[in-house]
Amino acid sequence: MRPLWQIPRDCLFWLLVSVVISIGLHLEHLPPWIVLSGIVATLWQIQLYRERWRQPGRFIKWSLVGACAAGLVLHYGRISGLEPMVALLFAGYVLKLLEIHHKRDALVLLYLSYLIIILQSLFSSSIVSSLLVFCALLPVTAALVAMHADVESRRPASALRTALTMTLQAIPLMLVMFVVMPRMGSLWAVPQHSSGTTGVSDSMSPGDMTQLGRNGDVAFRVEFDGPIPEQRELYWRGLVFSGFDGRRWQQEGPWGYNDGQFLQWPDKPLEAWDKVVMRHGEPLTYRITLEATNSPWLFALSTPVSQSPTVALSRDFRLVNREPVTSKLQYSVNSWLDNQLEPDLLPGWRARLELAIPSGFNPKTIAVAQQWRQETPETEALINRLLALYHREFTYTLRPPALGKHTVDEFLWDTKKGFCEFYASSFVFFMRAAGVPARVVVGYQGGERHPTENYLLVHQYDAHAWAEVWIEGRGWLRVDPTAAVAPERIEMSFADLFNEQDDFLAASPFSLERLRHIDWLNRLRLKLDSLDYAWAKWVLGYDNRQNDFLMNLLGAVNPQRIALFIVLAGGIALLPVFIMLYLSREKNTWDQLDRLFLQFCSRLEKIGLPRKPGEGPRDYAQRIRLQAPSLAEQVDSLTRRYERARYAEQQEAEFKQFKAALSKFKPGRKDRLTRP
Amino acid sequence: MLKRWRQVFHKRYQQWIFRRLPPVKKINLDNRKLFIFPTHSGFVFFGLLLLLWLIATNFENNVVFAFTFLLTSLFIVGVFHTFLNVSGLSIEGGKAAPGFAGQAVEFEYLLSQSGKRRRCNIEFSCPGVEPAFVTLTGSEIKAIYLSIPVKQRGWFQAQRITVKSVYPLGLLKVWTYLQFEMTALVYPRVIDAPLPSQFAAKQGDKTPPQRYIPQNSGSEDFLGLEKYRLGESRHHIAWKQYAREQGLQTKHYADAIDDEFWLDWQALKGMDTEARLSRLCAWALHFSEGPQPYGLRLPGFELPPDTGRAHRDAVLRELALFERGRESGGQA
Repeated sequence: MRPLWQIPRDCLFWLLVSVVISIGLHLEHLPPWIVLSGIVATLWQIQLYRERWRQPGRFIKWSLVGACAAGLVLHYGRISGLEPMVALLFAGYVLKLLEIHHKRDALVLLYLSYLIIILQSLFSSSIVSSLLVFCALLPVTAALVAMHADVESRRPASALRTALTMTLQAIPLMLVMFVVMPRMGSLWAVPQHSSGTTGVSDSMSPGDMTQLGRNGDVAFRVEFDGPIPEQRELYWRGLVFSGFDGRRWQQEGPWGYNDGQFLQWPDKPLEAWDKVVMRHGEPLTYRITLEATNSPWLFALSTPVSQSPTVALSRDFRLVNREPVTSKLQYSVNSWLDNQLEPDLLPGWRARLELAIPSGFNPKTIAVAQQWRQETPETEALINRLLALYHREFTYTLRPPALGKHTVDEFLWDTKKGFCEFYASSFVFFMRAAGVPARVVVGYQGGERHPTENYLLVHQYDAHAWAEVWIEGRGWLRVDPTAAVAPERIEMSFADLFNEQDDFLAASPFSLERLRHIDWLNRLRLKLDSLDYAWAKWVLGYDNRQNDFLMNLLGAVNPQRIALFIVLAGGIALLPVFIMLYLSREKNTWDQLDRLFLQFCSRLEKIGLPRKPGEGPRDYAQRIRLQAPSLAEQVDSLTRRYERARYAEQQEAEFKQFKAALSKFKPGRKDRLTRP
Repeated sequence: MLKRWRQVFHKRYQQWIFRRLPPVKKINLDNRKLFIFPTHSGFVFFGLLLLLWLIATNFENNVVFAFTFLLTSLFIVGVFHTFLNVSGLSIEGGKAAPGFAGQAVEFEYLLSQSGKRRRCNIEFSCPGVEPAFVTLTGSEIKAIYLSIPVKQRGWFQAQRITVKSVYPLGLLKVWTYLQFEMTALVYPRVIDAPLPSQFAAKQGDKTPPQRYIPQNSGSEDFLGLEKYRLGESRHHIAWKQYAREQGLQTKHYADAIDDEFWLDWQALKGMDTEARLSRLCAWALHFSEGPQPYGLRLPGFELPPDTGRAHRDAVLRELALFERGRESGGQA
């Protein structure tokens, strides 16, 4: 069967380029066989166009549809979810390529290309991938142009140029719309893109943090309203672990608490447990831009309060998001660094929770702990004694030896080498065994100050675990046993400390972080990061600041002002487009040449030598030669140029010469012969 | 009921268009004369934008928002591009080539502009006619031709044509209706008829041709090829030779007779006016191919025998306008 409508070749070219680009963009999250069928369909369409191959028959087409559907079900086992949906869309898109019978088929393909290319932004919205998407849209527009242009204008380069021009012209208006168009918020629940992301997980076993120590990805960025506090103050609490099964620490909440709702939402009345926290002094205000973690917990300094409507404060004084964070999230926090948590008596059920130790594990530690407790009944002294032990005998390393069943025993009395989670775990276990309520806190510690921008970069390798100990009258106190072993770890940035060690960033072989000792590369890395942060702040998280921004811009945010702004700013954004298009219409050297020649005449007229009606340029020049001999040479040359600009081959060049010569032509009255 | 409403609406719309764009000789297309509206694919594009907006809203993804707004802006920028592709164009009615009833007359339209803008793929169309596409570059003057089928002889006034463009994205169409004060002469329908006996006899020993419509002259004795001269029938052009790039030549046939002939109304007794005119027309075409002079006799009118293109045109004109208004403004 021959096609009923023949797609213009140049249009097909850009269409196939768009298909290939779409495949390339989605390569990461498409099953390989869909990619393969996309390539086959592209080749088939090329062969079809060259009339080498035939249109696939109805049987083949329906088998392909069946095979794709079966493949999708087999591959994903479900149809809901972002990846299967995109894959389904993609399968249809690729198969459609095999039946371009009408113009509308080609249009459907192009519109699908727009959609599929833009959908890539749901998977990755980084600045680089957004730029790629922007570039990928150009061939689609070029194909659209090629479909509607004449033979000359539809040539690939020409169509792409038109597409590029129009897209660039569209950008100012796009910015205006981006700034003012109101965001509605999610209308219904949609499946989110899920992928393995690194970060602090909801449990902690020996070796977990060590893994993170090798990862150079950014975990979050923090912008403070005032100066950035000291490095040793920056303990970003993420999770509180009270449960221990001998190897793994994990959360006990919300089951272990029973005084009110576990989560305190900002729009709800204060829960009963809010009074157990004392906040002193002025809060520290900052904004955190968190990378996707696929988990709901957030990070903040103790003790936090957030005004974001989707962020709740938990019973153990952490921040929790309403949904797992699947893309960059911005939230602002007030933290009172000077605080007391549960300073009064810990209720019995709470004490039991924070003192629980599993039976049958670490007998030596339990024995030593009870012995020490008798020798030093003062809790503070006990803590210091243990910390002193760490300081004396332990090593802080990214390559700790493996531990067997009795993790704490083996670590404390045998290997004595470990990373932060070893210290936190053994410390808390020891304290509990000695009868002091204690718990493990994980999160991040410190961060890298951006040298030029006022923000802090927290990397995955800043992940940290420490302990909190409850002392009657003082509440929960932060104790960081790692600080006792390696005070540098807390005082300076982690990267500076471990820069020399091989294992540092072993999981990020291509990270620019590895080259931070090369000065200009390090500056480049930080420059790129500030770009990335600006992107996150102004584009990805724009809905958070839209209201403030519009308030500053418009004075008040109401529909009338927004409409007025769209009309005014939109008009200004479109003005260059209109002027450009309008000028290109008027751009006619002939008209301009006439105008310049009239200028030439009027200059002569001013000195009393007007051109007579019907007098040709040559006759006019002849007359000037007689009446103002001093001008003769100039006038002659100008007239010659004018004639050439009008009648010669290279009019543009001659026109420019004429224009240049005319600008130097300044006749005065003295040039004129005073003759009766 | 709905149909009636539609008819009424259509009629009103046509009247409004007529008031807004009355017939002219030359027109300069500016914003008051052009209409712009999304095409079907433009509306589908709206659907795409809506879908993207829903995705952006539901996934709360500002990058998808940005691209949605980019495509929206592209559409709006497209309004300017589409509009200015046609705006500023001057169109003038050119020549109107006569034709035969049942065939087509050809109207010429001359396009020009004051600037140098490149104007892509402007479509000229008329109901029931294959549209013509034209691209204007620089300050040239371009002619396009529309062949309009005609049914009745007499004067035929140029119909309203549609000038349309969807360049560059096909999402919007800008269009206008143009009616020019142009009239083409429509000759009577050519109907085959055997030559009356007196002609057949005069043609002597040669086999009298059985069909006289010009397309079929090839049955006669072929004399040779000659260089094409303006005015010769297109049906005699030797297309094969032309295709071989031997220039435009015409086939000549040996059916020439030196006597003079009269195309006589009275020779066709018992037929109605149109039937007689049709046959006279066929004969006129037949004789105009040959070298012999021929004259025309109509009731109350006589055109003395002569040869040549001017004479042929005069004969056909008389046939076309027989019992019809002579004024060129008359409707056919």
